[in-house]
Amino acid sequence: MSVASGLLPTRPRTGFGRLGRAAGSPLVRLIVKRVLLAIPILLGVSVLTFWVLSLIPGDPARAMLGMNATDAQVEALRHEYHLDESGPQRYLDWLTGALHGDLGTSMVSSQTMSSMLADRWAVTFELVALAFIVSLAAAVPVALLAARWPGGVFDRISMLCSVTGLAVANYVLALLLVLVFAVEVNVLPAIGYVGLGQGLGPNLKSMVLPTLAMAIPLFCFYTRFLRGDLVDQMQSEDYVDTARAKGIGPWRVLWMHAFRNSSFGMITIVGLNIGTLVGGTVIIEQIFALPGLGQLLLQGINTRDTVVVQDLVIIFAAIAVFANLLVDVLYAVLDPRIRYGSH
Amino acid sequence: MRRIANVNRKARLLGPLAALLAVAMAVAACGSSASSNDGKGDAGAQVGPAQSGGSLTVLEDASFAGGYASGLDPATNTTGGANLPQMQSIFGGLFLLRADDDGSNAKIVPNQAESYAFSDGGKTLTIKLRPGIKFSDGTPFDAQTVVWNMLRDTSSPCSCAPTWQLTKKDPIVAKGDLTVVIHMTQPNGALISNLPISNVNWIASKTAFQKLGAAKFKVAPVGAGPFTVVSDQLSSELVLKKNPNYFKKGLPYLDKLTFKSIGGDQPAYQALEAGQADAYEGMSTSPLITQAMKNSKFTVTLGPATSPYVIQLNTMKAPFNNIKARQAIYYATDFDAISKGLFKGSDLPVSESFTAPGGLFYHEKVPGYLHYDLDKAKALVKELGGLNVQLGTTAIYTANQVITALQTQWEKAGIKVTTKPMQLPQVIQAFTGGNWQALLQTAGAWDPAAGVGVAFRFASTSPFTGVKDPKLDNYFLQAAATTDSAQRDKLYQQAAKYIAQKAYAPFGIAFTPANIVAKGVHGPGLTTPIPALAVNTQTIWDEVWREQ
Repeated sequence: MSVASGLLPTRPRTGFGRLGRAAGSPLVRLIVKRVLLAIPILLGVSVLTFWVLSLIPGDPARAMLGMNATDAQVEALRHEYHLDESGPQRYLDWLTGALHGDLGTSMVSSQTMSSMLADRWAVTFELVALAFIVSLAAAVPVALLAARWPGGVFDRISMLCSVTGLAVANYVLALLLVLVFAVEVNVLPAIGYVGLGQGLGPNLKSMVLPTLAMAIPLFCFYTRFLRGDLVDQMQSEDYVDTARAKGIGPWRVLWMHAFRNSSFGMITIVGLNIGTLVGGTVIIEQIFALPGLGQLLLQGINTRDTVVVQDLVIIFAAIAVFANLLVDVLYAVLDPRIRYGSH
Repeated sequence: MRRIANVNRKARLLGPLAALLAVAMAVAACGSSASSNDGKGDAGAQVGPAQSGGSLTVLEDASFAGGYASGLDPATNTTGGANLPQMQSIFGGLFLLRADDDGSNAKIVPNQAESYAFSDGGKTLTIKLRPGIKFSDGTPFDAQTVVWNMLRDTSSPCSCAPTWQLTKKDPIVAKGDLTVVIHMTQPNGALISNLPISNVNWIASKTAFQKLGAAKFKVAPVGAGPFTVVSDQLSSELVLKKNPNYFKKGLPYLDKLTFKSIGGDQPAYQALEAGQADAYEGMSTSPLITQAMKNSKFTVTLGPATSPYVIQLNTMKAPFNNIKARQAIYYATDFDAISKGLFKGSDLPVSESFTAPGGLFYHEKVPGYLHYDLDKAKALVKELGGLNVQLGTTAIYTANQVITALQTQWEKAGIKVTTKPMQLPQVIQAFTGGNWQALLQTAGAWDPAAGVGVAFRFASTSPFTGVKDPKLDNYFLQAAATTDSAQRDKLYQQAAKYIAQKAYAPFGIAFTPANIVAKGVHGPGLTTPIPALAVNTQTIWDEVWREQ
């Protein structure tokens, strides 16, 4: 509290007062600033998506109706989906609808986007969330152990595993995992999604292999990144020497000091990975026959359903933007210098 | 565009992965017991009697039979020709293609229809319906409803609408409760042959459509087929249960039938191996078919061959606007060797025209067909002063193998060959832009005038042809415009001879996809071969059963 504000008479603790104080807090100011910054980014992404999709040669209405359709039928479909309007007008129509919660209707299935999203979002969300949780939960202890004895046996083994894991594409890994755990050992399902409504156990069992297919490459990447950063901190930072000089044990220095600093880099990487990970669901959902958004996007591309494709691309982009927003906020929470804008 | 969608059968999302994982599968399979599985399914085996009950999970390739983003309403399903499993299960069909257990004697038989007859020189088709059929919602399956369906289908802007040449006045009318009369301006020789893969074959409940509305009906349609919809997530999973109102007594055998869409042959095979599904229709990755044949868990059924490979040559531009260059390709091509080398043990037939042993109007030999003769090929190449060819195909495992083999053969004749596997959109672009020299594709169908028929590859009006020849067009038009089988046979033979004489395109192996089915599951089309009318075989789902 500043000196000036301390001299003011105390006001009753009303809701407005709390809101006012909250609004005045550096963290809230930062969040508001970042959210405001995210708006033009999202608008830019949506404009770009519209523009790129409009560059695809051919008429989506003609492609959908085929060679047999008369010009009048094609024109009717173009009108129904506003394809006869100018690009900017269509964009404005879409934006107006989106701001009112109407993302349009699929040109192919005639289902509303909101109903399709409602059916599918939970699958993709669960897949991405589990992949993050598993990869981070595994990467942190492995990286700590490797960084504790750099160049040691554990470090070398983890390095070998990480490099191998990074070299294998996730779709190949998916098929290998199925081969081992579903075909040979036969302990996990190869395909299909069991909803949470049918029990947490069956649900998690159905998600193990897809999650591993997405999480293993991430785990390898996080492990290498975190281990490198930790070793760097432990070997070259003054605060580590100071801590050691104070007699703090090596594990405590690693966990309480070096890891806290390294977590900044990790947060950045995790934030950047979210977009990639959501994109990765396109293939993984196809292999494991999971009815999620990735599968829907691929179907939209295959059937040239521009409404589905543009909505999903924008949604995926929005997820990436908000993930980065979250990263910025986390920075601020972890580092007061950022919160107060001193750096 | 349904034809393009049919061709898309070959363009799988994960096709290239199949080869990669085939090695791993082979290693894994070393421990599994071998069995003699000749690809003939239940043909010749003692199975049955059929048992009622149980459920079945069937996998369908998401990029073909498992893809039905436009829903399952016959009038608007743009991929109905590919979605035969789902459509037949829900709607049954006026007609079906059936064959003997060994795949021979295939013919179109009435199903919900009782009979049909052409009159007026083939311009009028009268279909009599089987009496006593009800839709699963209890409403009657009568001529008025069939007419409503057919008019809706034929006037639909959907690419799935049939291209019937209907009269303007009273094109399709009901006569009484059980007779439907279709009036055409000209005969259509392939109309009946094409029906089982046409959306017009699947009759929907008008009452249910009006009650549900178009959007809901395409997700949960109501028909008079053996099964009714329990749940449906488009292009993902369709769960069906036995239709209690089904018109065939004692059928269907299964209580529950689930179709799941999956991203290609490799994941499907692994899911089958893991026991997660009971069948996969239309496996086309040859190493996996071979693998399945060695696996005692499965019955493998290869459909009768109907569509041979064809090396389409672009006769509109150099070098193949010169007949000598085309003849050099004929002489340099040895499909018999490719069949023996690449498809060991499969005994694939090699065709000399656009038909194959499983199809109509097939003749083993075509007079004047130019056979492999390396010396003649070399001489022609020398006479031409060299020959450079770019050979493309749709990038799938089997086709890639074939063009690599062709490259080796042609180079022995002194032809310089560049191979170019392409994704389907690139292939379409090459065709429509005319920017191609030689493309390995498939030609023909069970009936050459139906499905992805011969005209698709050879008629001047098709964007997917390398030939523009009015004489050839005339053969096809005449053959399609008569219902006289003998006359059609004669015309197709003349067309095949003419193609050989002009060296328009060498034909080759007739490769067919396979059904991989868990032991103990049986059914016509699934474990006995039935020719594919277009690309995939039609399984008769009401007769599919599993040992209890």
